[in-house]
Amino acid sequence: MRAEQVLAALSRALGEKLQSYELRPREVGVSKKWTVEEIWAEVPREDIPRAVAALKALGPLHISIITGHDAGEKIELLYHLAVGFGTEGGEVMVTLRTFLPKEDPTVPSICGILPGAETTEREKIEFLGVDFPGIPRRDHVFLPDDLPVHPWRRDEPELEKFIRRMVEWEKDDGAKS
Amino acid sequence: MERNPEGENLEYGALEEVFEVPIGPIHPALKEPIRFTFQVRGERIVDVQIRTGFAHRGIEFMGMRQGRNLIQILYLSERICGICSVSHPIAFTQAVERAAGIEVPPRAQYIRVIISELERIHSHLLWAGVAAHELGFDTLLHLTWRVREKVLDILEELTGNRINYAIPIFGGVRRDITPEQYPRVWEAIRYYRGLLEELLDAFLRDPTVEARTRGVGILEPKEAEELCAVGPTARASGLRKDVRQDRPYLAYSDFEVKAITPADYGLTPVGDVYDKIVVRLLEVGQSLDIIEKALENMPEGEITSFPKIPALLAHLKKAEGEGLGWHEAPRGEVIHYVRLVSGEESPLIWKVKAPTYSNLLSWYPMFEDQEVADIPIIAACIDPCICCMDRVYIVRNGKEETWTKEELLRLSWEKTRRMRR
Amino acid sequence: MSGWAIFGQAVVVLVGGGLVGLFYRGVDRKIAARMQARIGPPLRQPFLDLGKLLVKETVIPKTAVAWLFSAMPFLAVLASFTALLYLPLGPFGPVLEGHGDAILVLYLLAIPALAMALGGFASGSPLGVVGAQRELVMLMSYEFPLAVVLVAVAWRLSELGLAPAFSLGTMAQNPLWGAVGPLGIIGLALLLVSLLVVTPAELAKIPFDIPEAETEIAGGLMVEYSGTYLALFYLADAVRTVVMAGLVVALFIPYGLAGRLGLSGAVGDVVDLAFWLFKVLLVMVVAVTTVRVGMARLKVDQIARGFWLRITAVALSGLLLLVLDKVVMG
Repeated sequence: MRAEQVLAALSRALGEKLQSYELRPREVGVSKKWTVEEIWAEVPREDIPRAVAALKALGPLHISIITGHDAGEKIELLYHLAVGFGTEGGEVMVTLRTFLPKEDPTVPSICGILPGAETTEREKIEFLGVDFPGIPRRDHVFLPDDLPVHPWRRDEPELEKFIRRMVEWEKDDGAKS
Repeated sequence: MERNPEGENLEYGALEEVFEVPIGPIHPALKEPIRFTFQVRGERIVDVQIRTGFAHRGIEFMGMRQGRNLIQILYLSERICGICSVSHPIAFTQAVERAAGIEVPPRAQYIRVIISELERIHSHLLWAGVAAHELGFDTLLHLTWRVREKVLDILEELTGNRINYAIPIFGGVRRDITPEQYPRVWEAIRYYRGLLEELLDAFLRDPTVEARTRGVGILEPKEAEELCAVGPTARASGLRKDVRQDRPYLAYSDFEVKAITPADYGLTPVGDVYDKIVVRLLEVGQSLDIIEKALENMPEGEITSFPKIPALLAHLKKAEGEGLGWHEAPRGEVIHYVRLVSGEESPLIWKVKAPTYSNLLSWYPMFEDQEVADIPIIAACIDPCICCMDRVYIVRNGKEETWTKEELLRLSWEKTRRMRR
Repeated sequence: MSGWAIFGQAVVVLVGGGLVGLFYRGVDRKIAARMQARIGPPLRQPFLDLGKLLVKETVIPKTAVAWLFSAMPFLAVLASFTALLYLPLGPFGPVLEGHGDAILVLYLLAIPALAMALGGFASGSPLGVVGAQRELVMLMSYEFPLAVVLVAVAWRLSELGLAPAFSLGTMAQNPLWGAVGPLGIIGLALLLVSLLVVTPAELAKIPFDIPEAETEIAGGLMVEYSGTYLALFYLADAVRTVVMAGLVVALFIPYGLAGRLGLSGAVGDVVDLAFWLFKVLLVMVVAVTTVRVGMARLKVDQIARGFWLRITAVALSGLLLLVLDKVVMG
């Protein structure tokens, strides 16, 4: 698998919806040099399933993780996918970047195409309060089901209180005892 | 331990009734807290619910939001997992090096490879012993753990610690392998070369081990691919999926690593527990090969591009960018994503993915229609590392209410005070 | 014999049996440890364990059927110790005997297993219930080959005109090995093998420890037992080991040493008793210790369907060969 192939497939599937892309090859090896390809592309949120389906059509697809970030006005999600494992140096790392507005933080689930994405999508639900319509299970993975806050949101007033309460209480009681 | 609501009126028809068997969060078969709730009919598993998060420590949050600098976070990342304690730093340093544009000298790359392969040997032997114990075969547990001591000794010799080696740092490694240490590493390699056949024999040709692991906890190749299983879990199903092969990093392209499946041992991959034993034991041999090659071809030169820590910190503070770092840990793919912003010591984003995170879903098909007796070995077969996967400060007691750390801490302080009186 | 004499003997045998049982448990653990390249606990460890358990709090879970739950440990101890009284002890005959005591011993050996299963059901814990179900399945699988062995030996004895045939005393005094032809010897050997395989199952040791199976069901039927009750089960288990090994010795290796060495009287008795204790230890080490060190735990269906069919077949063919031997050789 080469990066050009992957890029061609992505642009075929998405057309101008492929908002921007960048190739970031990395040189590895000491005596045997090798170039590992990385593609970083930006895609509108509603086109994420289409992009993933296009990648899946290319070869065995693996999702490593979805990174989430509260970028102020928006929530940024980065889908780290790897296309085409099985041969030496044959895998291309594709990162799909998408932005969700805070007032409507939803993005279609890709579990229908890639069932292995369930854990990481569920994690985003509990940590960032993003919703994934179409996900088969949405219960929490790591946090208690009744936790009132999404810890990775940077605008959570509850969270600050939560942590402050914990830390101050510890100091307070620790001093007394 | 949860009580079965129907437990009291279990009568003669019990064998046909579906009842709930809770395994965990604390259970002898589990080395770390996780809860499986099995619906069981007779001895057959009908359904399972998996609940994780009992050991979540919020490590990513601590890294991103509590003002730690990158070097402090490096040691934090090392403590994500005690067993793969060099895998997380290797992935993390690569991510940061990529984001900050730092080069790693060849010798440092080789040293990182050697340490991580030694770690793989110790982790796989550890797993093999645990697997034997889950099967009720304690003799094998004692024997494998005894031979595991050798590799821990070597790791201690090279790094100063049996676990948490503190070897990688941004731009290189912290300790060189000195000339007088080479013979000891060679001696350990010879020791394991001689033992490998014996280990394979003890595990793979034992009729009771075979009876308990063949056809148990099968993960079909198609399921493994769809659920994005990683590491030996995927390879046992016949997928040639190994980050060292697919996306080489560090000096791994020098060693031409090939993903190992049971086919390399002359078996047709089935994806059961037996195949997982095969893959892990063969990988011990593979790691020995890699270490040998690395020792033979070890390049001379610097071990770090930033010998002075203040200079490194200053460089990192100025750096701006994002990067991915990956590594094939003993259990599978570890991946770290880091985004640095100029003028900040902490990264803006730090995302960690441990192998068990990917393999979590594989448990569902593996438990399907299996027997209660197979629960421990299936639970163990992906070599779960719960503390790796769980990373917040809340402890749940399995009931409706939430017990936060502060409450538990208060309770324990109260108890201490009671005892002092 | 007067009632008092029997009572005195019984006390000696019961106390001695308990001590030997616990001591042998220590030996078993030590040998197993050495085989696994460990140092192992000191020989007195079982006594310490028992003492510690006796001073610990005994918890009865809220969901348990309390009377049944608490009665079972006593029943198990009672049955195991009673079985001791019917066991031929080397040079000495059994303290108690009567028509059909061999069958009684069979039942006395089954009662602790049943008591543990009932205790597991009564504990109200799902793990206990799973363990109890497994115990019952095991009980059904190993009782039949065990009965076949006893019946075969008793039948052959009765054919020799010895009565009472279903008595362990008679069995111990009349070893069959010399009384049968070559076919019979093979038959007896098969019976001995099946009895040795049944032994770890009867005692629920690896590979047959599925009712407890620590890593699977966290101790299974024992999971809710603690303190005194657990100590009682522990003691019953140690005594059962001696009874089971003593049964193998009585049926197949009842030979004494004193006659051969030309010793008689008190010295001869002491030598024979020591030799008997050694034989019991040997059976335990062969059938329990080495087996549990060398194998993984089997699953319940592997035991019930695959394994026990074979052992029953071995026992039955032993019986058949004995019959053939009698018919052919007269």
